[in-house]
Amino acid sequence: MTTQPIVREFEADLTVVAAVEAATDVVALTLAAEDGAALPPWTPGAHIDLVLGEDLVRQYSLCGNPADTRQYRVGVLRAPDSRGGSKAVHAELREGATVRVRGPRNHFPMVASPRYLFIAGGIGITPMLPMIAEAEASGADWRLVYGGRSRASMAFVDELAAYGDKVTLLPQDEAGFPDLDGLLGEAAPDTLVYTCGPTGLLDAVEDRCAASWPAGSLHLERFSAKAPASDEEDSAFELVLQRSGLTLQVPADQSIYEVCKAAGVSVVGSCLEGVCGTCETEVIDGDVDHRDSILNDEEKESNEFMMICVSRCRGDQLTLDL
Amino acid sequence: MRDRSAGCPRNAWYALAASAEVGSTPFGTRALDTPVVLFRVSDGSVVALGDRDAHRPYPLSLGHVDGDTIVSGYSGFAYDRTGACVRVPSQAQVPYGARVPSYPVREEGDLVWVWLGEPSLAERRPPVPVPWLTDASWETFGGQWETAAGVGLLHDNFGDITHVAVVDPVISPPVLAGVAPALEVELTETTVHFHRDWPAAPLPEWQAKISGASATASYPQREEGAFLAPGLWADRWDVVIPAEEGGTQTFRFTHAVTPVDDRHTRHIWRVSRNFAPGAEASDMLRPIFESYYLKVREILETMQQVIDRDGYGEDVNVAADLAALQVRKILRRLVADEG
Ligand code: FES
Repeated sequence: MTTQPIVREFEADLTVVAAVEAATDVVALTLAAEDGAALPPWTPGAHIDLVLGEDLVRQYSLCGNPADTRQYRVGVLRAPDSRGGSKAVHAELREGATVRVRGPRNHFPMVASPRYLFIAGGIGITPMLPMIAEAEASGADWRLVYGGRSRASMAFVDELAAYGDKVTLLPQDEAGFPDLDGLLGEAAPDTLVYTCGPTGLLDAVEDRCAASWPAGSLHLERFSAKAPASDEEDSAFELVLQRSGLTLQVPADQSIYEVCKAAGVSVVGSCLEGVCGTCETEVIDGDVDHRDSILNDEEKESNEFMMICVSRCRGDQLTLDL
Repeated sequence: MRDRSAGCPRNAWYALAASAEVGSTPFGTRALDTPVVLFRVSDGSVVALGDRDAHRPYPLSLGHVDGDTIVSGYSGFAYDRTGACVRVPSQAQVPYGARVPSYPVREEGDLVWVWLGEPSLAERRPPVPVPWLTDASWETFGGQWETAAGVGLLHDNFGDITHVAVVDPVISPPVLAGVAPALEVELTETTVHFHRDWPAAPLPEWQAKISGASATASYPQREEGAFLAPGLWADRWDVVIPAEEGGTQTFRFTHAVTPVDDRHTRHIWRVSRNFAPGAEASDMLRPIFESYYLKVREILETMQQVIDRDGYGEDVNVAADLAALQVRKILRRLVADEG
């Protein structure tokens, strides 16, 4: 007889109560329960899934006010190279439409600090909005550098106007790229750097922080998976699930997540490419080959947690708290 | 060895007292290693200040309330609701900058919730509503005390109730003695809900007696637990009785937990029900629940003593611990966010 626990995330069908154009190709959706019931609380940096179809699940940062427990707001860019997610949002999610929402979850949490440097690129502004509001309320010393293709493409500029010269807008066609060497060339004392945006920007910020900032200063969130660090062949290994009392074999061509699912062990996952953090699992023993785009080097080295949708094992055996 | 304790976030609402405990006599308490005094001012609202006179190390809670101020029982310094010193007996001039800390307060569900963390966040993270505690369709009783155990041990305890049948066979619904059905856990960023659907089984004797329901008939039962915030659990137990036999009987169990320090926790518990109204039924139920919660307290205090003596062990986790482990994960992250 099986009494394996089942774990899932909160899910609900929410109604689009407002859909407004926040910039060229960016729509801001406000979502609420049909009966106006309270939604699960969240903190700045959190995101939700929009379940747009059977195999069409996309993550969007919450960019409203966490104190408003009845509404979520997300900003969605119509991506030219969209795999269908953002196009579906733009085409179908008009006022009055219903959408399945999962979450919220947060792998980009805001850590308390006397000073912040926020660097946003394009739609990467969304998780920054609630962070900035919180930094401002706490009296922290902060600055936002916000780059975009053109002024018309940059969402939420009107909301940022209230912050005056703490915000630097850099439309690329007028002002060029942000001067990252100037911004990050030297570590600023007691400052945390938060960045979100296109891969090129994040990689550039990451390089500069790695060169001259103390470990732990940089917090970043990626929308898509980082390029794989190695193209080593995947190998098979043995997987021990301590709480379930199971030993499974993970073949070279399957992920831990897939193997657990197939064995009837309840695991949660969303992006399945190592960017959302949903599948984070505690490691008990074994040498993890981290392949995700969430954990920083320090966290990877600690070997305490892993993303089982992409990460694997370097040795023959891995023991997880599952 | 990995540290298995999760710590306690400061950025959270904690119920420092029941509303009835706070009046115009100062109520001194501690939370998160911080001394706090609570009192009511003329408009009926509760004020929370640091419980230490700015002049000498003497608790303000040993003084008295005078109008909208609290007056130290030693120096005679008077402080207003913002914590500012507004009067000193020895001179006309109030010393510049003399003040004690003041903390945001909300009354909700007949409990006094206080925010001891970053003050600007209090507004941005409203306390979780607990409407059943004051709603007339629910009959509520309860108690409160300090447990000499860290709050993590209380969280672990509420995260899994399969121990009830072991700890207190009298209170335990008979069905708990069987093999537990699969636990279903639902997560969000900051909350953990879990439930189990138990097979049909008879009511415990005491419940049949007070509700007039059959003591021998079998009814399906559902267990629910919810970690709603670092200071709040809301659990429930439903016995699904057909409408013609009186309808579903639900208990809601509310646990407000406040870390006093690493090894002590203030525990306010409330038992609400939607059946068998009236004081007489409450008087029958109270000792049953009180004795169960006292047993739990004693067990948790023993666990704390074992930890104090022998340290944290590599405790073996079983399937039923899933919810408790998720709670620890949330708490660890919230603590890490505080920098
Ligand atoms: S499911 Fe998104 S990181 Fe694994």
